[in-house]
Amino acid sequence: MNHAPASRPRGLRRALLPLLAVALLGAPALANETPQRGGTLVIGIGQNPGHLNPAISTGSEVHAVADSLFSGLIRLDDQANPYPELARSWEVSADARTYTFHLRPGVRWHDGEPFTSADVAFTFEQVLLRYHARTRTGLEGRLERIDTPDELTVAFTFREPYAPFLQQLNVTEAPILPRHVYATVPDVQTAPENLTPVGTGPYRFVAYVVDDRVVLARNDDYFKPDLPYLDRLIFRVIPDANTRLLALERGEVDFIGGLPAGELARIDALPEVTLYTPNSGSGGGFCVMTMSFNLERERLADHRVRQAFAHAIDRQQVLEQVLFGHGRVATGPIHSQLAFAYSDDVRAYPHDPALAEALLDAAGLPRGADGTRFSTTFLHFPAFAKYGEVLRQNLARVGVRLELVALDRAAFITRVFEQRDFDTNVISYCNNADPAIGVARVYVSTNIGNIPFSNAAAYVNPEVDRLFAEAASQADVEARGRLYAEVQRLLVDELPYLWLVETQFSAAGRAEVRGLSPWSGSPAEAAWIAR
Amino acid sequence: MLAFVARRLSQAVPLLLAVAGLTFLLIELAPGDPIVALAGEDGDAAYVAMMRERFGLDRPLGERFVVYMGRVLRGDLGFSYRLQQSAVTAVLGRLPATLLLIGPALLLSTAFGLVLGVLAARRPHSLTDTAVSTVSLLGHAVPVFWLAQLLLLVFAYRLEAFPVQGMRNVRLDAQGLAGALDVARHMVLPVTALTVQFLAPIARVARASLIDVLGQDYVRTAVAKGLQRRAVIGKHALRNALLPVVTVIGAQVGFMFSGAVLTETVFAWPGLGRLLLSAMLARDLAIVSSMFLLLTVAVVVSTLLVDLLYAALDPRIRYG
Repeated sequence: MNHAPASRPRGLRRALLPLLAVALLGAPALANETPQRGGTLVIGIGQNPGHLNPAISTGSEVHAVADSLFSGLIRLDDQANPYPELARSWEVSADARTYTFHLRPGVRWHDGEPFTSADVAFTFEQVLLRYHARTRTGLEGRLERIDTPDELTVAFTFREPYAPFLQQLNVTEAPILPRHVYATVPDVQTAPENLTPVGTGPYRFVAYVVDDRVVLARNDDYFKPDLPYLDRLIFRVIPDANTRLLALERGEVDFIGGLPAGELARIDALPEVTLYTPNSGSGGGFCVMTMSFNLERERLADHRVRQAFAHAIDRQQVLEQVLFGHGRVATGPIHSQLAFAYSDDVRAYPHDPALAEALLDAAGLPRGADGTRFSTTFLHFPAFAKYGEVLRQNLARVGVRLELVALDRAAFITRVFEQRDFDTNVISYCNNADPAIGVARVYVSTNIGNIPFSNAAAYVNPEVDRLFAEAASQADVEARGRLYAEVQRLLVDELPYLWLVETQFSAAGRAEVRGLSPWSGSPAEAAWIAR
Repeated sequence: MLAFVARRLSQAVPLLLAVAGLTFLLIELAPGDPIVALAGEDGDAAYVAMMRERFGLDRPLGERFVVYMGRVLRGDLGFSYRLQQSAVTAVLGRLPATLLLIGPALLLSTAFGLVLGVLAARRPHSLTDTAVSTVSLLGHAVPVFWLAQLLLLVFAYRLEAFPVQGMRNVRLDAQGLAGALDVARHMVLPVTALTVQFLAPIARVARASLIDVLGQDYVRTAVAKGLQRRAVIGKHALRNALLPVVTVIGAQVGFMFSGAVLTETVFAWPGLGRLLLSAMLARDLAIVSSMFLLLTVAVVVSTLLVDLLYAALDPRIRYG
């Protein structure tokens, strides 16, 4: 079995963290090997990227490719800790309102122009704060101003302390665009430049054939010495997951993400392939499969009914039968790997069908003549059908008939968030690097309505709102941890949602490929091929 | 003849407009918002509202319908913000790749379908006939995506005879003759999947039609005159039996495109089928409506060609 550092058995993960930081700065996966230069790496991706401007979209299909062309001010390791990228250092003011970044000198865009603080200010003011949905939502109203006292210094001042800012500055959240290219375009969203990107990233753009491939080449002028090692990086669009896997096994591609869960054990046993199971991947990180209860429906507004669901559903069975053991039973809304914020001091709901039946009886929902208490709809993406099957089986035992409704992504969003025509659903809510980014949005009362992947349950609790707001504006990590522990205790007590399992991302690469960072936007920055 | 062709083509104009209008309504009335595909999924209400306004999606349905139809009438099929290309450029850019699959598959399924049909019709209810019917029915009944996966597993994965995916080897990116051979190797499995799928109806209709013709008096006369069976079938019966077969082949063109959606997805073939599927999932109206218009044109033209072939095959048919 081959495993890269980021996918060691979980018990080893903490012990390896200090080593990981070294590995991230460009060292290969195996410390005693010297990286070899040259070669072409082919990455199989599931979706065509569309355009290649990562600052105007949060779409994972855009970022899967474009993040290798651009850079952020900082980079995140697989535990979401920041380390320098375009910024070589930074400091935070005593009142935690101002973040000052000192940029690397001598960085050049792929077209040879120098990179300066003006690029950073332009990108935030003209692009990210307008068009990047997450950055706009996270910073708008909070950010007071951006100052550029000199070409290599940029300072962000907030109206009040804003703790998760550093986690929002990597290439996925805040890629920096070239001002000299975009300042003159009439419309950034439709600019032809979005198809011929100029970045500061490890690879430069060569060619893009829609629905087929994107070809990148080594950026010889990259600001990190010696990187990247590869000559060429090709992204090959292969929509079918099984075909992607066969292509990897046959060596037609070298690295793929999004493996079918049922295949993980087989892939792990293949000598020619290395399996990676990081917490983050293209599209998000630290994700929890979450069942939403529509609290606007009278039956589900009853706390006893939600508790009955929690006791009726065997989450261990979900872990074993849907994820084949790759993941962890969830205890609440925050992923256990987000160590500073996670708390397991919450109410437990052990699998207990008899207790579930008693709760349903108490709620005035007795079994009918056919043994059924009531029917309830369960909306899901086709890819999550197996969750529905296990849940339907579990709930049938206590007399609840779950009606599975499979919908494609666009239809699901309309039905759940716009029409609110559902009883329950399942969503992979990703915490991302900080609960203020990925968790609060699901529970705060200001985020209910026609907003994709917002507060689907329509849960309203002023105390929860207050705790999330306070945690986001605290600079002290321990104080934040205490606030998040309190919010977890409250939420798990009230159960507006049921947290099923924590999922892992899965990716696989050819064994001869070393130095991949599958949790990051640009997995091939330090990759090399052992010959 | 020319007047007939002109009349038929002019009849297609209202049909195309109706298809454009229907496509607009289908996409607009289906649940799902194009903004999600355009901008990602993490915006707040103000962001979504801004994007809707920007792309004119905040206007009433009726107003957008009028604007859209006006554009279609002027020949402007719209711009795909998702792909940052005009819809016509995107669709025409993908057409050659799909024709590379559909063209050979149509020719091969016609050729093999006819041969199998003749073999079966020569001795109805014989062992050969039963075998041909069974095999062709099986080929037609098997879903094309399943067949494609099976071909992949056997011929690409186990036997390693063909590549698993794509239209060319992206590592080599061979040009000229080597490039053409590379594409040809990549074509074998997807073309086979489509051919097997479409061979069955041709074989079945060819068999039934030929059996019918072989029972007619003029064939009996030919046999009575002492002509060889091969000559009777080849020279006299087959030509007359071809009329229904031509109809079936013409009707296959539309189905071929739907088969291409699945085949192209399994084999990661960068053609129109893939474009249509991704556009539908993203509610990309410009691409979907352009694709449907192209399909309509393909069906109209293939039906016209069938009619013209009728005249060529049967001198009694005249258009004027």
